[in-house]
Amino acid sequence: MKAVGAKLPRYDGIAHITGRTAFVDDVKAPGMLQARALRSPHHHAAIRNLDTRRAEQLPGVRAIVTHRDVPHNIYGHLEALGVPADEPLLAEDVVRWRGQPVAAVAAEDVDTAMEALQLIDVEYEERPALFDIRLALEPDAPEIHEWGPVFPHFGPHNHRRVRKGDIEWAMDAADTIVSGVYRPQAIEHVPLETQAALVIPEPDGRLTVYSCTQAMYFSLGVVAAHLKLPLNRIKFIGGTVGGGFGGKVDTASETIAAVLALKAQRPVKWRWTREEEFLVSSTRAPWHIEIEDAVSSDGWILGRRMVTLHDSGAYARFSPYGLTKHAFHHTGAYTIPNLKFDGFVVFTNRVPTTAMRGFGVTSVSMAVETHITRVADVLGLDPWEIRLKNANRVGDTTGNLVAMQDPSTVPVTLATADAVGKELPAQFRAMTSERRSGDLLPAHLVAQQAPEGAHVLKRAGALDAAPGNGGGR
Amino acid sequence: MELMVNGTPRATASSPVTPLLTVLRDELSVTSVKPGCEQGGCGSCTVWVDGEPRRACLLPVGTLEGARVTTVEGLGTPRDLAALQAAFNDRYAAQCGYCTSGMLMAAQALIDRTGGGPVTREQVIEALSGHVCRCTGYVKILDAVIAAANGEYEGHHGVEFEGDASQPEVEPKGAPA
Amino acid sequence: MRSSDTEALIPTSEAEAVEAFRDGSGVTVLAGGTILMPDVTYGRYPKGGRTLMLHRAGLDTVTDNGVVTFGAMATLDAVVASGVPPLAEAAAAVADPEIRAQATIGGNLAAPPGVASPRGDLQAPLLAMGARVRSVGADGERTEPVEDYLAHERGRLVLSIEIDRPARGAYLTQRRPHSHSYSVMAVAAADVGGGVRVAAAGIAPSAVRLSGVEEALANGESAAEAGAHAGEGVEPPDDALASGWYRREVLPVLTARVIEQLQGG
Repeated sequence: MKAVGAKLPRYDGIAHITGRTAFVDDVKAPGMLQARALRSPHHHAAIRNLDTRRAEQLPGVRAIVTHRDVPHNIYGHLEALGVPADEPLLAEDVVRWRGQPVAAVAAEDVDTAMEALQLIDVEYEERPALFDIRLALEPDAPEIHEWGPVFPHFGPHNHRRVRKGDIEWAMDAADTIVSGVYRPQAIEHVPLETQAALVIPEPDGRLTVYSCTQAMYFSLGVVAAHLKLPLNRIKFIGGTVGGGFGGKVDTASETIAAVLALKAQRPVKWRWTREEEFLVSSTRAPWHIEIEDAVSSDGWILGRRMVTLHDSGAYARFSPYGLTKHAFHHTGAYTIPNLKFDGFVVFTNRVPTTAMRGFGVTSVSMAVETHITRVADVLGLDPWEIRLKNANRVGDTTGNLVAMQDPSTVPVTLATADAVGKELPAQFRAMTSERRSGDLLPAHLVAQQAPEGAHVLKRAGALDAAPGNGGGR
Repeated sequence: MELMVNGTPRATASSPVTPLLTVLRDELSVTSVKPGCEQGGCGSCTVWVDGEPRRACLLPVGTLEGARVTTVEGLGTPRDLAALQAAFNDRYAAQCGYCTSGMLMAAQALIDRTGGGPVTREQVIEALSGHVCRCTGYVKILDAVIAAANGEYEGHHGVEFEGDASQPEVEPKGAPA
Repeated sequence: MRSSDTEALIPTSEAEAVEAFRDGSGVTVLAGGTILMPDVTYGRYPKGGRTLMLHRAGLDTVTDNGVVTFGAMATLDAVVASGVPPLAEAAAAVADPEIRAQATIGGNLAAPPGVASPRGDLQAPLLAMGARVRSVGADGERTEPVEDYLAHERGRLVLSIEIDRPARGAYLTQRRPHSHSYSVMAVAAADVGGGVRVAAAGIAPSAVRLSGVEEALANGESAAEAGAHAGEGVEPPDDALASGWYRREVLPVLTARVIEQLQGG
């Protein structure tokens, strides 16, 4: 392992600083066409008519595609993870967000492609739109998604659940209930390289795809599935990403470019404009998080009741996965023995949301850390001490009953206190991550502690310790 | 019409309002210049026009008859790096690399403008104030520019093409410390 | 028709520029290009017609003989270098060095109202200084106060802007953090002998005089008292940078600070 601890040059360093790194848009193919997409101007509308004939007549237009040209139009990117398909590559009879692609054009130059968009005739019938996730479960909320207001495929539930211990006991036993609502907002990734794809139809029927994806094999699979091609008929060239930050896993340009390339039988380049990148590319999701902690006056968090609404936008995409990660982390770096967590993936008429650095977890981290400081404020206790007391220790279990082997909360908190010059009383200064005992093991934490050496806490006659099937109410 | 690109006369058939960015990338295959926003807001497309840093996305080529355009391709090559390029590479001032071309052209112009000697952090920040980076957090970029201006890296400052006398001839201070 | 379908006219003198412009119909005037060029890229440039490129017309001179005259093509760098208060401060606050080297005072003055955010920051100091605009159009050449120029359709070709150098000037701009290129709003004040003029940009489609503030100052009110009049008669817009509410709340504070700066400087 000669590389460990060594200062190594970036393998692409010289290319970057001499301007020779080949990003997707830097690559040209002979006979290359330029693509543009026709996008819904409405947040929510039925499509009554879609006619591309006038646009097809424009000199310089080589192909126009709609959903009719896509062999498998509605494909679920996470079908392998139990998320059924809901999102069309190109809209069929409805558009659910402003910017959703309805058709795409490949032409000899960008100006011609843009002109062709003006000549595509679409008849929309607008429908009421929903933007506030808090209203989604109201009886009079606009109907958006065929699955209903929320994603319904978390096993038998329409929400992601974590149950542990006895939350009612905790709420009764508490000296105080501390509540908080946290609403992190959407964030744009803003990579400097906008979404771009170049697809070359090879004479033997294969496709060569220059892609800006962060996930080459994943995107290859998505393109193959939409086109109903075997995986070995597609070659992806990529790995050079001008900034992704999670926003370039959606495979947002490759497939449509491929459909155009196959129809035109010529290479197709599609580079999104900065306006498209801001207005229609996927974002980090907005969240609405409500936390109620049952706490004792001496600073123990006896239980946590939490409801999370995650704004998925118009389609599910990766949201169930992000919410599940969020659920796993809803106790943060702390041991809380009684839990009731319900998380909903809510559909709105926003652009579908996606991954962004720390997908699902940054929201819950912000919420739980802010909340524990709020608990300290309400109780009149030091926020450092309350963290150290409730910190994860060896043998403590997570929300889904997995035993902690090597938690870092205590040493990191102490190191941080050092770094900022925070004075702590000796008993806190001396804390470690070792198994709870004595004063650090009050009665209410005994049941959640796994036996020494155990990896998972099992109850007598317990259900399987999998998320969503917790043993509590 | 004709313009000079990295010391070589190049002809363009593009219409006069075509942005220089499009002419360079699409017509002349000079691809170090990047289309980050095409609105002048990010600095990815910065090139030199007659030795001065400008946004290629905002320059109609019709105003550049006879102009001397310099891009990163003219700044240095893998076997003959400018000191600034060596500094960027050594100090990890490039992550994804998309902003790098623009950063280099703006920073090199600063170094040349101030006579090739040390520059202050404030000067670098001002010179790069129109340049966005989404990856590095800027600190390593600033460090690299300051180090290069300080003579800590071998290589040339600025560029000189045959017949191009606009850039000051600056002697680098020698081997890195 | 393509957005690049346009006939380029490149006059080499002011007289040629005036002749090429005629009455302006079918003509797009390209000054620095910083506002117009994105329209080419995004397919919004006027199709067909003629583009008047002014880079060779000799309109970039700056003369100063007590009256400072900027040719319409004088860059923002040249405006900064002139040191005329508060115009120079306003120009220095626009965008970044590369943009300032390319953008022009004429283009900034003539900027149509922005859709997503305010434009034409220099309109405020020009109003505060009582600048005069020399332009040509269908009815020939005229020189008029800048407020008259701003009041009518921007269909004239600006040739130069002349300013009686103020004794003092002050300028403050309100920005969103991390948004160095765009100001939410700005206030400019100038002592032009015979009183203080105050104007604000970013609270209306074009910059406006804050006459309530000017009257209060003339009546001897304090900076804060005068600033409280700033919102009279304006309905600041909601846009991508800020809400109308935010602008209404902040404008009096910004105005009071500018006046303090003017009085203290």
